[in-house]
Amino acid sequence: MTVAFYIAGAVAVIATLLVVTRRSTIHALLYLVVSLFAVAVVFYTLGAPFVAALEVIVYAGAIIVLFLFTVMLLNIGGEAGPDARRRLRPASWIGPGVLAAVLLVGLVAIIASGANARVGGRAVEPREVGVALYGPYAIGVELASTLLLAALIGARHLGQRRREPDGR
Amino acid sequence: MTTAFLTNWIYVAVFIVAGAAMVVGILLMSRLVYPIHPSPEKYSTYECGIEPVGDSWHPFAVRYHIFALLFLVFDVEAIFLFPWAITFRRLGTSGFVEVLVFIAVLAVGLAYAWLKGALEWV
Repeated sequence: MTVAFYIAGAVAVIATLLVVTRRSTIHALLYLVVSLFAVAVVFYTLGAPFVAALEVIVYAGAIIVLFLFTVMLLNIGGEAGPDARRRLRPASWIGPGVLAAVLLVGLVAIIASGANARVGGRAVEPREVGVALYGPYAIGVELASTLLLAALIGARHLGQRRREPDGR
Repeated sequence: MTTAFLTNWIYVAVFIVAGAAMVVGILLMSRLVYPIHPSPEKYSTYECGIEPVGDSWHPFAVRYHIFALLFLVFDVEAIFLFPWAITFRRLGTSGFVEVLVFIAVLAVGLAYAWLKGALEWV
C-alpha cells in the first residue's frame, strides 16, 4: 500500500507544521493528535504493527492527556469567557477534521486491500519484538525501568510542589 | 474473498446510516409534535431553582493530575510487559528473571510514591 504510506506521510508533515504554527495551544494539540495517528499509520505500512499500536496507545492516548493537563494547570488556554459557541466555531476544528478524514481514507484503503499492507521490507511481529527485547537488549529493558523509576519519583515531586502554595 | 470482505462492511454502513436516520427522525417527530412557547425565564440556566451566579468558565484544581502522571509511567511499563507476555514460553527462566527485576525496580518507585503520600486523595 504505497499510496496509504504517502498519504499518511503527507498528513504527518502537514499536521506537524500546523502544530508549530498554531497560536492557540489547544488547537496545536488537536493537530498533534492527528500527526501522531498519521505516524502510527506510517509505521504500520512500514511493517511495524507493534510500534504503530504503541504510537496510538502511549502517544495519542496518554501523552496527549498529559499535555492537556499541563495546558489546564498552567492556564495558558486564555480567552476564558462565557461564550462557549465561540470555541466551537468551525475554524478551530475543521483543519484537524479534514486531515483526520484524509487519514481515514488511507486506512480504509488498507483495510479494503486486505491484511498484507506493507510498503516494503519484512513485517516484524510483536512476538519477534519480545524475543529481541528480552534477548540481546535485556540491559536496555532494565535501563528503561530505571528511567521510569526516575520519572515516577519526578512525577511525585511535581505533584507535591503544586499542593504547597495552597497550604496543604 | 475480497468481495465477501467488502459485503460485510456494507452491513456496517447500513447500520450506521439506519442508526443516524433513527436519531434524526425521532428528533424531527418530537419537534413537529411539541408546543413551543419560549420566554427568557425558560432559556435561563436551571440551577436547583436558584438564580445562577457568575459563569461556568473558571479554572478549578485537577486533583487527579498526579494519578495521570503516575499512570503514564505504568502505561509504559505495561508496554514493556506485553512483548514478554506473548513470548513467555520461548524466553524461559532468563526472561522471567529479567521481567522480575524490571518490575521490582518500578515497585520500589511505587512504594516510595505511596509512602510519600502521592496516592492520597487531597
